[in-house]
Amino acid sequence: MMMKRIFIKPELCEGCKNCQVACLAEHSPSRSVWFVNLSDQSSQPRNYVELNNEGRPVPLSCRQCDEPECVSACVSGALQRDPATCLVVHNQKQCAGCWMCVMSCPYGMILPDARESKIAVKCDFCADRGTPRCVEACPTGAISLIEAPSPDTDGEYYVLTGGEQQ
Amino acid sequence: MKYLILGASAAGLSAAGAIRRHDPRGEITVLSRDSQIYSRCLLPDVLAGKRGAASTCFITEDFMQKNRLNWAAGSIAARLLPEEKAVVADNGDKLYYDKLLIATGASSILPPVENIRRGRQIYGLRNLDDVSAIAGAAENCLQAVIMGGGLVGVDAAAALNEKGLSVTVVEVADRILSLQLDQKAAGRYEALFRDRGIEIITGEMVSKIVLDKKENVAGVQLKGGRLIPCGLVVAATGVKPDISFLEGTAVEVGRGIRVNEYQETSYPDIYAAGDVCESMETFTGKITTTPIWSLAVMQGKIAGTNMAGVRRKAAGNFAYKNSMTFFGLAAVSFGLPEAPDSSYETYILERAGSYEKIIIKDGRLKGAILQGDISRAGVLGALIREDYPVKVAPDKLFDLNYACFFRELENGEFTYQDEALTSK
Repeated sequence: MMMKRIFIKPELCEGCKNCQVACLAEHSPSRSVWFVNLSDQSSQPRNYVELNNEGRPVPLSCRQCDEPECVSACVSGALQRDPATCLVVHNQKQCAGCWMCVMSCPYGMILPDARESKIAVKCDFCADRGTPRCVEACPTGAISLIEAPSPDTDGEYYVLTGGEQQ
Repeated sequence: MKYLILGASAAGLSAAGAIRRHDPRGEITVLSRDSQIYSRCLLPDVLAGKRGAASTCFITEDFMQKNRLNWAAGSIAARLLPEEKAVVADNGDKLYYDKLLIATGASSILPPVENIRRGRQIYGLRNLDDVSAIAGAAENCLQAVIMGGGLVGVDAAAALNEKGLSVTVVEVADRILSLQLDQKAAGRYEALFRDRGIEIITGEMVSKIVLDKKENVAGVQLKGGRLIPCGLVVAATGVKPDISFLEGTAVEVGRGIRVNEYQETSYPDIYAAGDVCESMETFTGKITTTPIWSLAVMQGKIAGTNMAGVRRKAAGNFAYKNSMTFFGLAAVSFGLPEAPDSSYETYILERAGSYEKIIIKDGRLKGAILQGDISRAGVLGALIREDYPVKVAPDKLFDLNYACFFRELENGEFTYQDEALTSK
């Protein structure tokens, strides 16, 4: 089946961090860039722009991996791969804050929540928006949506949690 | 095709899912002692009263039905008859298979201490039953002694402390969590524990459990002579794979059941995965047990895939990783906690309540400890597991992130250099 993934073209990134601000706002109570309280750590971006060895900015975000290591590391069942969307979803209520996912993501894309450090937070692909807000906010096209084939994986807990795959 | 899976935890259920994906018609039976699916890793939270037993279930409610698993709960394998391709359960049932997966896990070890098998309030912390037993004993006493200051012991100590008991941890090494952390990081936890009123005794061991006339636990005697009164002892001194039912068979065992990279044992059509098996571990390059949740899931999936006739090798069998959090302080560690000799370089950074340590040899990461700020720890773990060159100057080590290693596949997934981290 096909899934949506955020594709990154670092050569187009100007390092403006609009994507980070958009993510921060989207995950703040007001969802507004105007009203977001920057000192309130419960609003926390799930993406980030970092400099590489050449000092060039690279925008990074969760890959929603075909075989997500965070999901196989999750001891509580809070992390699952949604068979319908192929997204890696995190159920904050079930999360035990054991940090196995933080330890296991090879790319550092799932983090302890900044305020209390009790549960993990990750990109939710702006679940109730058509397009993730970071993608909408990028002025240069450095991050864009692609349709990617998602193989008929035996995706560890994909099946465990989602039952049979057709 | 008849599949039989022994064990209903991470490895067993991961395998069941993988089998069903590749074989829609096969008959899959799961035999387990437990009649409830629960995550062992969450038992300390249940003991502490922070989580109900029901919410330790790590699969969806309909998992068994959706995957059409016959679940024979409440009994365990008593004997394996490989020539007949059958397993005799302890209730007398004889279960035949075409392909067998052994995912029976491991059990707590009781160390050789006087009276340890006689005393009534002495428990491991491994099963849901252990939690009820410990909680029951904790109702009737004020003091508990934990034998062993590893992850399980320290978890038990924190949980019982939160229940209001006076807790003493007795650890034979010079620090708690000695397999996971160095002196400094362990010391920060020890200080936190002491602040909470937990006593930590290192470099000591229990020599005798003191019992009253009814064989109730009354205290423990340390080797050094000190007597600690208590009404409850938790033995957290390690586990051993559950392989006794293999006695007399030709299935090769060392410490656990020996398996190859397809999770195959030495005997045809018998596979093993999870805590019960021993396999080639990538960090040490040695055959060891790999008692880590994520590896149980991975190995179970590989076993199930191969059992269903699709060949696939295990990958990323890296067991030297730990994550933990006690009283609000988080830590993640990988590889070596200390540099073994001067051919290794050690870098340490302390900032804003965080302690970070990185050990490098020949430009490659060999160990890392992050305590406090653990975000992006996984990048360090991946570099160690993949034996990948660090590529950055020492002053940038503590800000390592994936931007320095960025490589994207056509489908938008990330990878480290040319090789995907997990084999596809």
